[in-house]
Amino acid sequence: MSNCTSRRNALRTFGGALAGILGFSAAKTAKAVVQKGLVTTSAPKGYDPTKHKWLMGFDIDKCIGCGSCVDACKAENGVPQGPSYFRTWIERYIIKKPKPGSGDARGETIVDSPNGGRNGFPPSLVPREEILKSFFVPKLCNLCVDSPCVQACPVGATFDAPDGVVLIDPKYCVGCGFCIQACPYGCRFMNPETKVAEKCTLCYHRITRGLQPACVEVCPTEARIFGDLKNCAPEDPIMQFIAKNKLQSLKPHLGTGPRVTYANMDKEVR
Amino acid sequence: MRQFKLPPQIVRLVILTIGIVGSYVVARQLFMPKSFGQYGHYRADAIFELAAREPRYGGKKSCDECHSEVLEKVAKYEHKTIACESCHGPLKAHGDDPDHHDAVKPTSDLCLRCHELNTARPAFLKQVEFKKHYADKGKCIECHIPHQPNEVP
Repeated sequence: MSNCTSRRNALRTFGGALAGILGFSAAKTAKAVVQKGLVTTSAPKGYDPTKHKWLMGFDIDKCIGCGSCVDACKAENGVPQGPSYFRTWIERYIIKKPKPGSGDARGETIVDSPNGGRNGFPPSLVPREEILKSFFVPKLCNLCVDSPCVQACPVGATFDAPDGVVLIDPKYCVGCGFCIQACPYGCRFMNPETKVAEKCTLCYHRITRGLQPACVEVCPTEARIFGDLKNCAPEDPIMQFIAKNKLQSLKPHLGTGPRVTYANMDKEVR
Repeated sequence: MRQFKLPPQIVRLVILTIGIVGSYVVARQLFMPKSFGQYGHYRADAIFELAAREPRYGGKKSCDECHSEVLEKVAKYEHKTIACESCHGPLKAHGDDPDHHDAVKPTSDLCLRCHELNTARPAFLKQVEFKKHYADKGKCIECHIPHQPNEVP
């Protein structure tokens, strides 16, 4: 009799354990499903990053330095207000005339960006007759193919997404700041509130919904051109921009392969 | 016949190896995020978490749903390339709920952000030295209509 009881007990224990394991895994799956449902309710559905390739272009001749893009970027992305936190900004280049008799083609280059150009630009301190040429250069993350920031990140928090955007995983970023040092274009900054590195994401939450990045949306002169190279017709603005202009990228000698392109750029721009 | 028996040091080594490999497998299961490696050496869910943020600018298309007559008017004049939200601020909240009014009424300062004379500005843009152009420091809209800049009221 005692033998029988022990077998029954053993079976009961075994069955209980099995039910426990199955129940636990079922609960875990249910939790994952619920979490997924909660997390992705506001996220764009059906976005496949492998089916897009985003590109940003600038026409320097069209930029008027109004600073609307900087303002819109801060509003759209909740970028900290301080004067050193920018996902996009505008630089003013002033190239002076060469000194008479010096034999140089051009004089000194002065670059300024008061508050990132957010409030527009004050009249330049260099008198008009001393200026050889002057223009505005909008800047943002260059979407490098071989990104130094991705290589520098010690925890794998920054990565090249399949759609060509370099992104930062804010949950994995430990805030060491190596990427900020590594970026040759100075596109990154440390967010003082979240203590993680931040930079332009091409307004990832907008482009995945079929909208344009905020800076492109508000640019009054269409100096910023944005498009999807994998889904575009030849008459789309981005293809027209590529076809009609001679394009350059910033600091090509570094081998970072920036995908952001500039039209009508002077060699002084760096 | 003498039965073959594994030497105890080998048994210990095997147990140790299984233990190390086993704990690696368990640790990998516990600590590695599910979506890691889906697209590359990173957490693929981060892509969708970044995409989940709510936009603040609605885009020209959403303005066109109700204010198409204004857009058509603007499209005939010099300011045709300017989006509504470029001057009136982020308005997705207004698009989602038309009773939510938060459109910015631009002032002359906004006009001057683009049209104040600056040596770096390209020549195609009409520029004025505001102090000389309108010495009384009045409003631009006294003479110019922003939606139809070529016309005079």
